[in-house]
Amino acid sequence: MVKARTWRRGKTTEDVMVDIVIVAVLAFVVVSCLYPFYLSVILSFNEGLDAQRGGIYLWVRKFTLSNYASLLKDSAWLMAFGVTVARTAIGTALTVAFTMLVSYGLSHRELMFRKAYFGFFIFAMYFSGGVIPYYILLRSLHLLNTFWVYVIPGCLSLFYILVATSFFEGIPAELGESAKLDGAGEGTIFLRIILPLSKPLMATIAIFTSVAHWNSWYETAFFTSNKALRTVAYQMITVINKTNTANMGNDAAMAAGAVSTTSLSIQLAAMVIAVLPILCVYPFFQQYFVTGLTVGAVKS
Amino acid sequence: MELEQRKQRAGRMSLGLRTFQKQGMLQLFVLAGVIYIFIFHYIPMFGLIIGFKDYKITTGIGGMFTSNWVGLKYFKEFFGDYKFGELMRNTLVLSILKLICSFPIPILLAIFINEVRNRPLKKFIQTVSYLPYFISWVIVSGMLKIMADSSGIINQAIVALGISPKPLELLTSPKYFYPIAILTAIWKDTGWWTIIFLAAITGIDPTLYEAAEIDGAGRVRKMLDITLPSIAPTITVVLIMALGNLLGGGLSGSNFEQCYLLGNAGNIEVSDIIQTYVMRIGLSNARYSYATAVGMFQSVISVILVYTSNLISKKVSGNGLF
Repeated sequence: MVKARTWRRGKTTEDVMVDIVIVAVLAFVVVSCLYPFYLSVILSFNEGLDAQRGGIYLWVRKFTLSNYASLLKDSAWLMAFGVTVARTAIGTALTVAFTMLVSYGLSHRELMFRKAYFGFFIFAMYFSGGVIPYYILLRSLHLLNTFWVYVIPGCLSLFYILVATSFFEGIPAELGESAKLDGAGEGTIFLRIILPLSKPLMATIAIFTSVAHWNSWYETAFFTSNKALRTVAYQMITVINKTNTANMGNDAAMAAGAVSTTSLSIQLAAMVIAVLPILCVYPFFQQYFVTGLTVGAVKS
Repeated sequence: MELEQRKQRAGRMSLGLRTFQKQGMLQLFVLAGVIYIFIFHYIPMFGLIIGFKDYKITTGIGGMFTSNWVGLKYFKEFFGDYKFGELMRNTLVLSILKLICSFPIPILLAIFINEVRNRPLKKFIQTVSYLPYFISWVIVSGMLKIMADSSGIINQAIVALGISPKPLELLTSPKYFYPIAILTAIWKDTGWWTIIFLAAITGIDPTLYEAAEIDGAGRVRKMLDITLPSIAPTITVVLIMALGNLLGGGLSGSNFEQCYLLGNAGNIEVSDIIQTYVMRIGLSNARYSYATAVGMFQSVISVILVYTSNLISKKVSGNGLF
């Protein structure tokens, strides 16, 4: 008995086996999640034509910055980055502002028709129209082929309204009431008292919205045809789709000793730049993800 | 005189209207949202009727309501279309395979991560595991094209390990489309869904584990007899959510993006699904009514799936979403 207990205080064979399995599985998970990014980074710093020969898995073989230099000279890519930055900034600002206003109104328990409003919003969350009627709507609103098709149609999310409303409901009503006694109007209360308290909420909505805008290609693919409106993600699709033919052209140029970059290596540089902001931002919002996700699961 | 009338009207004004006026600013905020949602959500919903009509794009939004009824013409056309069988098969096979293969993985990963005692390490592993969720499918497909190329690392490993004597056509052969779609979906979404299961595990009462230890349960026993049953309600809720979006690609609804971005002339016989078909015939071929009918067909199946899975879940486990 005593022996068994000391044995347990150490590790049983089962403990050791479980540890081995867990370490192996988690190591595999970590490596497989990170490696594709690592590979893209080292390939983006390698000469494009040299990379085409294959065999680069762990470290750069022929270091160069020319992929990034070419990217910075490529007007199509620069334009795409410009559009994407504008879309992300304007789209996120609109979404946050609009969501705050609507949810703040909804969060007042004494609001007339409150139940009806909620019913109206929640119904729209469960049922949606098809993509074709949506396309017809955008066409009738003259949003097709404009920059606004990126930021206006998505600028109020029903899910964020629910999250934000329950956040506002958690703010003590006395705060607003005492300000009202001091003569503050509804607008002042909202701007001076509610918004400063809502920074974590706004940060959560902003981070999710901006990542979605940053990654988006769908609207570009189906609702625009103007090359000047291409986003980074869409530009990437067009380059990926024609990589093969472009490389052949580059081989000919290489024979003439002219270029060492390929459209693939430039695309890799663009990929690294496109991933970088997400990589920097996402780890800091873990606690909000968890709340957001849990609220989402409970509400839906 | 006019003043008198106004006073009278004010007197008649109901208490409700006065409250409404007092809430003017707040009502304005909410009504702006209501109008917006009406335009961008409800109009496309009403617009679904063009699936039963002969709609012409030149007639705009009004035409959706004034065009001629044709009943189920477009639904019948779809059921009779030579593509119907193939599209149904591809949509169902991809969706069901993806759900079966990818659903258990986040639960397993959550249980494994929970066993890590070192807190910073635990947080690191978790953070790394959900990084792919934030990366767009475009970049995932870009990275995949590099790695699955004939000279890429995946094919080099396949040849080196002797699985195949020569590199496989992973991206263009119909044989490999489903495995690749499922594996990339697992890679991209597992970490994200692990968060919710891990949160559920954290909420388990620690005395349960202590009691089990006294009864002589080892780590595996504890995982199977305490952790899993304790998070069963969470698993049910997430499963119903996944079933509700089964045809869209489960939890994260990745079917369309995968089929659009990884589909090509080589694998189109397995990668063409209802959603890609709707976009092609609707927007490229401008057959608006027909495409709406096809899309509606998928939505109807989805609604049936949600209600059935919720019903079954309520009967079997007592947990349901509604």
